[in-house]
Amino acid sequence: MNLVRGFVTTFKHVLEGPVTIQYPEQERPLRERFKGRHALKRYDNGLEKCIGCALCAAACPADAIWVEAAENTDEERYSPGERYAKTYEINMLRCIFCGYCEDACPTEAIVLEHEYRLSFSDRRDAIYVKAMLLDPLPPGVEGTPRRTEPGQFTRSIPVMENPK
Amino acid sequence: MTETITIIIDGQDYQVPRGMNLVDAAKMHGVDIPVFCHHPKLEPVGMCRMCLVELGSLAVNRETGQPERDENGQPVVRWFPKLQTACTQEASPGMAVRTDSAAVAQARYNVLEFLLTSHPLDCPICDKGGECPLQELTMAYGPGQSRFIYDDKMHLAKQIPLGDLICLDRERCIQCARCIRFCDEIVGDEVLAFHERGRRLQIITISDPPFDTKFSGNTTDICPVGALTTVDFRFGARPWELDEVASICPHCPVGCNISASTRLDRDFGGRKMIKRIMPRQNEAVNEIWICDKGRFGHHHSRSEERLTQPMIRRDEEWVPITWETAYREIAAQLARHGRESGFLAGASLSNEDLWELRKLARLTHADCSLGVWPATMGGIEQVTQVGVGVGTRLQDLGPDSAILVIASDLDEEAPIWWLQVKQAADRGAKVVAANGRATKLDQYATVALRYPYGEAVAALNSFAVIARRSNAIDEAFVAARAEGFAEFDASLKGARVPKPYAEAAQALLGAKDLVVFVGGEGVTLAQHGELMQAAANLLILTGHAGRANNGLIPVWPGANMQGALDMGFGPQATHDLIAQRPAMWIIAEADPVAEDARMAEVLVGAEFVALATQFMTPTAEKAHVLLPVQSFAEREGTFTNGLRRVQRFYMAQTPLEGTLPAWKVFAHISSSMPGGAKPRIAPGLVMRDITQHVLRYAEMSYPNLAHVEPQFPLVGGEDMYYGGTAYSNHGGLGVQWATNAEKEKYSLAVRPVDVARPRLDGLAVVPVRLLYDREPLFAPSSIMHQRVPAPYVELNVRDAEALGIAEGDAVMLTADDVQMAAEARVNSHAPAGTVLVPQRLGATPIPATLVECVVQKMEG
Repeated sequence: MNLVRGFVTTFKHVLEGPVTIQYPEQERPLRERFKGRHALKRYDNGLEKCIGCALCAAACPADAIWVEAAENTDEERYSPGERYAKTYEINMLRCIFCGYCEDACPTEAIVLEHEYRLSFSDRRDAIYVKAMLLDPLPPGVEGTPRRTEPGQFTRSIPVMENPK
Repeated sequence: MTETITIIIDGQDYQVPRGMNLVDAAKMHGVDIPVFCHHPKLEPVGMCRMCLVELGSLAVNRETGQPERDENGQPVVRWFPKLQTACTQEASPGMAVRTDSAAVAQARYNVLEFLLTSHPLDCPICDKGGECPLQELTMAYGPGQSRFIYDDKMHLAKQIPLGDLICLDRERCIQCARCIRFCDEIVGDEVLAFHERGRRLQIITISDPPFDTKFSGNTTDICPVGALTTVDFRFGARPWELDEVASICPHCPVGCNISASTRLDRDFGGRKMIKRIMPRQNEAVNEIWICDKGRFGHHHSRSEERLTQPMIRRDEEWVPITWETAYREIAAQLARHGRESGFLAGASLSNEDLWELRKLARLTHADCSLGVWPATMGGIEQVTQVGVGVGTRLQDLGPDSAILVIASDLDEEAPIWWLQVKQAADRGAKVVAANGRATKLDQYATVALRYPYGEAVAALNSFAVIARRSNAIDEAFVAARAEGFAEFDASLKGARVPKPYAEAAQALLGAKDLVVFVGGEGVTLAQHGELMQAAANLLILTGHAGRANNGLIPVWPGANMQGALDMGFGPQATHDLIAQRPAMWIIAEADPVAEDARMAEVLVGAEFVALATQFMTPTAEKAHVLLPVQSFAEREGTFTNGLRRVQRFYMAQTPLEGTLPAWKVFAHISSSMPGGAKPRIAPGLVMRDITQHVLRYAEMSYPNLAHVEPQFPLVGGEDMYYGGTAYSNHGGLGVQWATNAEKEKYSLAVRPVDVARPRLDGLAVVPVRLLYDREPLFAPSSIMHQRVPAPYVELNVRDAEALGIAEGDAVMLTADDVQMAAEARVNSHAPAGTVLVPQRLGATPIPATLVECVVQKMEG
């Protein structure tokens, strides 16, 4: 009797379709909260959200993030506050995609997006620099660095709307 | 020792010194009373109210005089009805304090909530974030949320330059006034002040140029929030990312303990670089202060101008060579010239460098002259005899102490000593500031003594005469220790003493402790030797030798002149060498061509000059082989400061590729010579050699020098409220070598000094030292350039009138064979008949001291 029950299970699976898919031709849909490669966000006006505070680097359990900051000027402005990330690098080989950096970020500048196709033939290629991480500019918006009017950006940290 | 009393903190008895500030007393026993405005180095003001505690006193039965006890036998405490500020209380017997009650916790909570009403949420980008007392105390005692409406926060100006070095953020300021009080109380420069009242209260600078003090950087250290930050470090790194490396400031003889905050940097090729310099606590040296030259003068260590390749001159072209070729070339030249070689060491070499250079010289020939540069000050014999006692702390000098500063402008030459002397004067110490001109110390001095330049020795000698006449001689000490007293005593008899000298001398005599600072301003080398002896005579005669807080402190030029003299280098040897004109020179970390007109000619006449240097200096242009050596930041070593304290510095920055520490270079040259030993592999081993060969350095092994002990006040480390993770001293407190006066077996020589003054007709040149100059180790710090004046000379109004020179005129100064163009400043700083010429403001040499000169106005 047990023998029959076993074969029933086996034949049931024969009749089911395969669970595997033909990647990369086919892709599975991702959950909304999937944590893939990071992106550095911009405001609608094209300025970078990142203020170079290095709290992501401090929160990172894998020590994958390296930030060096510098000061914005009205002649050469990257972000609305006083400070921007001069160097921003993430070593994707070290990253464990835990998302702590996203939690630590005071300006919601770093977000783990849905990109997961990361492969490298050289260890150096695994280091994503700022230019690779920054979101593309919204259409019709001037990039960074840019010249801005004096007196327009006077806060150390841009005033953010309270999270809704 | 102050009396120890018992106070009760949180129901527990503690022994504390009477009169100690209550916050400090509690902290000493590990009880935290949080503060913002209080600082152990400043007078209390009780402004921030953070230190509120319940305060009471033990009830005493008036009939019996005994403490009253309740039914459980516990002492009865009468509590004040309201909370009191602990920082304004002094520990007294019968005092009881409660720091852990609900009322105290609520008070702290309320004070913090109030302080945070308009404090911006800048922490993520604030340079103080991570080592900020406000952050720490809010975490420990404060509210997690604000009840105030976010949109109603005050928005004040940010990024206000307070001078060219410090940046003020008005929003972050919590009005504790630590910065103002530091400038007013400790420095005495009234450059900051409060403006307006109430909620509009703000810090402003009231000096022109703004924030005009040499100690401005210290305000950023003691600021309990990020309101004051340095322009130099601005956004350099987050404090938790920095590695603190113990180091020693390479700029002056004080030898301030500093902490180099380092981090890897992409722009520096991914290597470790110094992001900022912070003071490191050493209560016997710099306490917790450093001057702005030390704080911002570290940029030379990674200047683009640094030499990174050994080079040899071939047909007037510099050709890069390997280190091996350089070693062989120099070894061959040394072998060829033998006795005809001279060695010259700069005052910024480490003791290890000097030792290896000395070994190399001894290998060449046994009795060769070891010169030191600058060769303006000598007197190692007197320092060996009566140098300031082991364990001296200038901060201990008080009402029963006397300080004599002669022939030095301490403010410019050794700012931290100036600060300490000034503070001693504030505490009531008698200070005599003797110089040929007015200096900044005069306003704090008990007696500001003016002598005509050239008469320094006579002035100091007259102090001994007065001591003799007013029976201020320590007869027992003189009888036991002094040698040659009879002859000296005879020379004092009948000496005429002008009244001002006598008055100044009277101010000093009778003090329990006496410290004499001897500088080299307006004295020749020979006179300086006499000046040091005159100081030694005075100290021995009055018995102020061989004890802590007593003795002689020479104000040397450079960070390690004391070490150079200890290692057997000397200024007289330099003058002998210049006279002998050897065919070959080895010069290390000195730039004599830029400082002495004769040296260019001497070096051009030499057949071979090897120079170990960091920069292409005027001396380098005359050399034949250049050896690129490392700065203080890139290697380990030791400096000996003016108090003879040998102190270790550690490798802070990744060395520039192609450079080597100077000691290694000399050791390799030695090993290329016949009879040379294999080079040591580490500076610690070189120091071990020194301990075995130089008697007074016997205790100076690296482990000894790295020894640290707890220091008071407790700042740094786990400290939450004095702000500054860098204060902790993990690098070592250093060791002072003992003078002969401290060893009973030595007698101390006194002798008559030569008080003859040089005959000068016409104008005499007096070179003076400025803190901010263009010496190679400081010039690359571009942040300080605004503070470095263009070359100028100072003339007395009367002399200028006679010569038809007005303020701001371009003049040409000619003396001996030196000609220098400069701007004339006409004022009363320079005494009539003298021209004050600051050193190292231009690339051309200035005349030697006390020579006659001609000043002419340049046309057009």
